[in-house]
Amino acid sequence: MLKKKIAMLGAFAVGKTSLVQRYVHSIFSERYQTTIGVKIDQKNLRIHDADVTLMLWDLYGDDDFMKMKPSYLIGSSGYLLVADGTRSETFNVALRLHEMARETTKDAPFILLINKSDLSDSWEIEQETLNRLEQKGWKIMLTSAKDGIMVEEAFNLLTQMILEKK
Amino acid sequence: MGEEHKTNLSEIMELGKLNELRNLIVGLNHQELIRLQNLIRDPHVFAEEISELLPYSVRKLIEKGELTVDSLQPFIEDAMHKSIQKNPKKLADILFPIMGPAIRKAVSEDLKRMIAAVNANLEAGLSPQSFKWRLQALLSKRSYTEILLANTYIFHVSHVFLIHRETGILLNQEIAADSADLESDMISGMLTAIRDFVQDSFKNAASQSLDVVQVGDLNILIEQGPNAIVAAIVEGQPPADYRLTLSETVEAVHFNHALELEKFDGQTKVFIHTSKFLKNCLQKQKKEKKSNVPWPLIFLLAVILGVIFWFTYLNIESKKRFHTFVEKLDELPGYHITKTEKKNRTFFVYGLRDFQAGAFDTLLLQSRFDSNRLKVHLEPYISIEPAMVLKRATEIINPSSSVVLNYAEGNLYLSGVASEEWVKKAFENVHRIYGVTNLDISQLNQKTDMPQPDLGWIIPAIEKYIFIFELNIVSLTAEQQQQFDSLVQAAVHLGEYNNQNNKKMAIYVRSYTSRTGNVDANMRVAVRRAESFVGLLKDAGLQDDLLEAQVLFTEDITVSQMLRSVRFEVFEK
Repeated sequence: MLKKKIAMLGAFAVGKTSLVQRYVHSIFSERYQTTIGVKIDQKNLRIHDADVTLMLWDLYGDDDFMKMKPSYLIGSSGYLLVADGTRSETFNVALRLHEMARETTKDAPFILLINKSDLSDSWEIEQETLNRLEQKGWKIMLTSAKDGIMVEEAFNLLTQMILEKK
Repeated sequence: MGEEHKTNLSEIMELGKLNELRNLIVGLNHQELIRLQNLIRDPHVFAEEISELLPYSVRKLIEKGELTVDSLQPFIEDAMHKSIQKNPKKLADILFPIMGPAIRKAVSEDLKRMIAAVNANLEAGLSPQSFKWRLQALLSKRSYTEILLANTYIFHVSHVFLIHRETGILLNQEIAADSADLESDMISGMLTAIRDFVQDSFKNAASQSLDVVQVGDLNILIEQGPNAIVAAIVEGQPPADYRLTLSETVEAVHFNHALELEKFDGQTKVFIHTSKFLKNCLQKQKKEKKSNVPWPLIFLLAVILGVIFWFTYLNIESKKRFHTFVEKLDELPGYHITKTEKKNRTFFVYGLRDFQAGAFDTLLLQSRFDSNRLKVHLEPYISIEPAMVLKRATEIINPSSSVVLNYAEGNLYLSGVASEEWVKKAFENVHRIYGVTNLDISQLNQKTDMPQPDLGWIIPAIEKYIFIFELNIVSLTAEQQQQFDSLVQAAVHLGEYNNQNNKKMAIYVRSYTSRTGNVDANMRVAVRRAESFVGLLKDAGLQDDLLEAQVLFTEDITVSQMLRSVRFEVFEK
């Protein structure tokens, strides 16, 4: 059995918890996030005939009240950076967190998820910005936790990237 | 073509000669020279070649004394010092599997002594903790032993997790047979997160880490190694040495899987072999409470023995009282006991009783034998015991107080003073006295026309006194003694009075008491008072048959009487 630690990073209220809620097995209450800053969920996948268990460390959204603890990132095989497409400031938070994660995880694979793609009317992040990042080799996916768009695919892709890196 | 071939051949021959010449001069062939050339040109190959010889050379140098351990020591110490300065964790990781057992061995003896001392204190049951548990046992209505075991000795390890320290990923787990499956992967992750949280929050040094998480009666014991953690979920309180088991397990895992742990990439299959170590941690211990003295059993036996002893005592005491009663009854004039027996709880007395013999109620009372357990079957007979013959004779010939009767072997001897008329009547009636075959009057002084004083005054003189006593007092006061002396002066004339008036007057000595308080005690005192007066009157010369003692309860009589009093009443028999 292959087990990998995955971290979910992003600003407060970008929808990290909503993204994983419908797709993972969870036993812990969300209040752990506000107390110790993390909630751990489990996602079982089958990629290329191999069973993989992802241990998802859903970290508390970085905000003025509570900072994300870098020690939670140690040992992560990959991470999902989540930003809210309707709030451009969350995109900047994601970039900042990425710098921190890159160092701690020693350049582990990651995907940038721009969430809330169902709210296109109030979209704030310009496509050009995303294109620039893609040109630098970033994997970017537009997701909607509400409609379940591209969520499963994001987990599968990240797992695949981790296995390929290995 | 032929020329060219010749030239080549001569060149080869020249080369052969050259090689031969080289061999002769250097002692090495061409291949060996090439190998040496390569060795010198390539430092890697040269280093490898030297490395094989170097340890051997060093050993040889040490043997020869050209190189000493002392001369190497500064270099080794410097190297270690620099290594520790640069990365202390590295050396700690290297030494970790060795340091554990060494430190443990040193402290284990002390620990054992300490545990033994603590156990001894607990056993003695004098510690504040033991009092607390006793109180707890009292309030919860559970036994003290139950509380003691629950608090001290019973523990049950339900799950043991081997967790990768850095990632929090569950590497392996063992679950006790009777325990439920848990979401072990997520629990392991969360436990790691909590550990990190505590460490970050309290800025603890790396050596100070979260060792135990306690939730009610549930303890999660965490033992940390450099790369892996062993966490045990324990219900109850494990003994102190259980921590050593966890510590040994961590060491064993690190010793056997050091490389896999360091290079862990998510593959947990390799850690399946750690099960044998983890299973050692699945302990379930239920230590029996040591007690050299089985107090409950001793208490039960004591109660049983006590009950047996009490019934035996009652039985023996009853028999003793019964035999005393029977012996005294047999000694009473007019009674002859032939057989006694006991059936179930009832005692039977068989024998003979003269119809003129007195009652045995007082005797029964004195013996304190339970009358409800007594059945007396007495057949009537005529006794020729001297006492009974004399009693019979007294009733029939009715002698005055001046006449004394004696009896021996069928002869009734009369002595004292009597009238001729009375003697004549005695001879007329002597045949009615069973047991008397001859009347002897040789010692009797017969008188004719004896003066007949009027003795009518004696009855009021006897009845006028009432003797009142203090509680439990039997003896007479000086004043009462004077009154009694006056009473005696009248009473001694009663026999004479009877003769004079041809009556059979006698005196009741009535002792009054009450049922209030201890009835038996009241009765005993009243009997003693009555007997005391009877004895005094007998001493004054009054015959037995002129006296009759009675004990009366004031509650049983209609006429009001003073408590603890004795009165005298003259009556006709």
